[in-house]
Amino acid sequence: IINMESLIQLGEIPFKYVRPPHVRAKVPQIPTLSTMTIFGLVFASYFLVMSGLIYDIIVEPPSIGSARDEVTGQIKPQAILKYRINGQFIIEGLSAGMMFSIGGGGIILLNQGSAKNLTPQNRYILIVTGVLLIGMAYSMSIVFIRMKIPGYGLA
Amino acid sequence: MTQMRAKMRRRSSSDCLSRLISNNPALAMVTLRHEQRPKVTMAKAGLFDISLDKQSLLLRLLILALICVIAFSTRLFSVLRYESVIHEFDPYFNFRSTKYLVNEGFYNFLNWFDEGAWYPLGRIVGGTVYPGLMVTAGAVYWFLHALHFTVQIRNVCVLLAPFFASLTAMATYGFTKEVHDSPSAGLVAAAMIAIVPGYISRSVAGSYDNEGIAIFALIFTFYTWVKSVKTGSLFWSTLCSLAYFYMVAAWGGYIFIINLIPLHVLLLLVTGRYSAKVYVAYTTLYSLGTILAMQIRFVNFQAVQTSEHMLALGTFGLLQIYVFVNWVRSQISGEQFRSVVRAAAIFAVGILGFGFMIGQATGYIAPWTGRFYAFLDPTYAKDNIPIIASVSEHQPTTWASFFFDLHLLVFLFPAGLYFCFKKLTDHNLFAVLYGVSSVYFAGVMVRLMLVLAPIACVLGAIAVSETLKTYSKYIRPRPFSERSKAGGKAEEELPLGREIGYVMIAGATMLLVLYVFHCTWVTSEAYSSPSIVLAAKQPDGSRLIFDDFREAYWWLNMNTKPDARVMSWWDYGYQLAAMANRTILVDNNTWNNSHIAEVGTAFASNETVAIDIMRRMDVDYVLVIFGGLTGYASDDINKFLWMVRIGGSTHPNIKEADYYTRGEFRVDAGGSPVMLNTLMYKLCYYRFGQVYTERNRPSGFDRVRNVEIGNKDFELQYLDEAFTSQHWIVRIFKVKKPENRSA
Repeated sequence: IINMESLIQLGEIPFKYVRPPHVRAKVPQIPTLSTMTIFGLVFASYFLVMSGLIYDIIVEPPSIGSARDEVTGQIKPQAILKYRINGQFIIEGLSAGMMFSIGGGGIILLNQGSAKNLTPQNRYILIVTGVLLIGMAYSMSIVFIRMKIPGYGLA
Repeated sequence: MTQMRAKMRRRSSSDCLSRLISNNPALAMVTLRHEQRPKVTMAKAGLFDISLDKQSLLLRLLILALICVIAFSTRLFSVLRYESVIHEFDPYFNFRSTKYLVNEGFYNFLNWFDEGAWYPLGRIVGGTVYPGLMVTAGAVYWFLHALHFTVQIRNVCVLLAPFFASLTAMATYGFTKEVHDSPSAGLVAAAMIAIVPGYISRSVAGSYDNEGIAIFALIFTFYTWVKSVKTGSLFWSTLCSLAYFYMVAAWGGYIFIINLIPLHVLLLLVTGRYSAKVYVAYTTLYSLGTILAMQIRFVNFQAVQTSEHMLALGTFGLLQIYVFVNWVRSQISGEQFRSVVRAAAIFAVGILGFGFMIGQATGYIAPWTGRFYAFLDPTYAKDNIPIIASVSEHQPTTWASFFFDLHLLVFLFPAGLYFCFKKLTDHNLFAVLYGVSSVYFAGVMVRLMLVLAPIACVLGAIAVSETLKTYSKYIRPRPFSERSKAGGKAEEELPLGREIGYVMIAGATMLLVLYVFHCTWVTSEAYSSPSIVLAAKQPDGSRLIFDDFREAYWWLNMNTKPDARVMSWWDYGYQLAAMANRTILVDNNTWNNSHIAEVGTAFASNETVAIDIMRRMDVDYVLVIFGGLTGYASDDINKFLWMVRIGGSTHPNIKEADYYTRGEFRVDAGGSPVMLNTLMYKLCYYRFGQVYTERNRPSGFDRVRNVEIGNKDFELQYLDEAFTSQHWIVRIFKVKKPENRSA
């Protein structure tokens, strides 16, 4: 007769001859990450993608370019691929990605600088650093893009 | 006296009113009526005698109207410089289809079989096209004609994209307002998306392509989705499915929506933010949306069969199971529930997994198509599908493309993400998910910068709005009641508070002004060229216009018999079909790889082999693009290696290495003999050996490759030169018929 009891008795047969080990198996707990940890991961992935990492993986450009110096005739390294915006070197991409992330970080610092319960000195440091970071990141990005596009500007 | 005044100031207005009423009963009647009126902020401000609420509403409407005007007018550069003409290649096919729709009618358009393309195969246009764009243009055309504005269909098509850009700005305003609960962030987002170069590149006037209306459909679908998750109402969910239907009709990028929304639902489930509203929203959207999506012939049963749609189906099933389990748990006791759940879970997972495996194995569930698989594994296209790899839009993105297309938004994007993470809600989570996934996809393919641009504007606007809100608190005039409080406020502790506020606002304004300058410069210089007309600046500053393409197509239209067949590389197929109105062999649809490989083999072989292929395919004319005289760099010689690769993918005797000398691709005397005898070489450089192109250079100097060509004096055996355009950019050759008597 196939019913619940006979099935259970059938299932119990092996355990008359074999002693099961005394082990407590627990369901593994997936560690929960805090919101800001996830933001940190997202920020890091943003830095990598903005540096053109996928372009680097597929097209495999050299990590740095070279140019011949006009005066001395020596070969000097050239970090930025000129005159093309659909090509880059690896180092150039990473430094530009760094600029973008620093700019974003500057704005975050500005927001931290307006929090409550800060001493005036801390507040000044955060705000001034934030402004400096944004200014520096933006200016550097403009310098880079001027090297790639000769006619860039208000023309 | 001052004490009395201080005391009086502290009393509220209603106190005064009640004392007045008790002193004068006649006033009581008037004031009673006043008290019964509904409360409105009756603060009068400035010159205008209207309340603050109404003022802010008026201001918002005015700003939105200005944004609409800006979004439309910034896209009109090429119309003002050249004329109202359709740009590029793909829009010409869309234009031809729209003309067919308007002339023949809707049902003839849906059933259209085009014999003029892909000779001798033909193309089932009704089933291989997304009809949304043509139907939208046709609807606008019919609406205007119903009002007796007899606008030409060409002008409707050219100006459709700027019109939809204004609508996109409105939809972005709504989307940001819902995501961040603040209309000011919405205004900034609308202003930013009106001019962001990443979106302008595909929606400029004349660019009559699917993306022009698809981005509007995308943002509108997302807006209705966020609204339906917020309210849980059936109305918004149905509106979302209708918007999704419009998106499916408009663009193949609807795959993004149907994977992003289930991801959002899954994330809400995982992070414990599930509520009944999500259930209503997603169930309605999935059921109605899938049924509506299957109405588009191009999608048909793919909506339930292909792997790209499986995530949506899986989430739908998971949601039903989750809700069912919760309901069962509420009905029966604890231990019964646990045993039932264990048995049911094992059973269900087993059946589902088994069913899925069977589906994959028998091929009923189709695997990811090559185009979309390249997103998951970006190296796939480069190794396996040369056609996908050859399109320049499909190349991965460099940092400079990001900065060029987004400018300030690359800095504001992570800050916007930070603000969303600080106050995470269900809708913020959607914006975060959209942002992160679109950054990754934009990194894989330049063309998808278009999908990143809207969410970059939204998150950037959130960052700008939050920063300005924080720092404008420093300079806002403090309200009356707060001045009397003892200084516990953070702003009052900072001695330079007002100056810092002014500096911040000035800095933000300056950055946004720089953003506007950049966007306008990029639109004017980079994205407003109709590729059909080329322009070059001469040394004295005036512009020289090269109208060779239209000249050649018009020559074909006027001087060849109506059923003549033209062979060219697939780039020019759509333009040929639309402007020259002749039958073509291959066009930009690239749906048949082996047919394109035949054409590639013909171009890459010598004349004897090529004439065989051409006679077999009944070719009457051959068209090539040659840039050596003018310096036009996108000509067929520069594309030649792709012809070799694609031809070599089906013909084993075409080997790419044969066309190189010592690893270099050359067309001068050092070029490989195989290369110097190909049909493409001979057609491009026929009679070019006698032409002097530059001073102090020998004859036959190619201005693009910057070399003197290797094979100069040759005659064509099986073809005759029929037409060469003014600047030698387009060259047309006639294929000779076989000899009457065999030799």
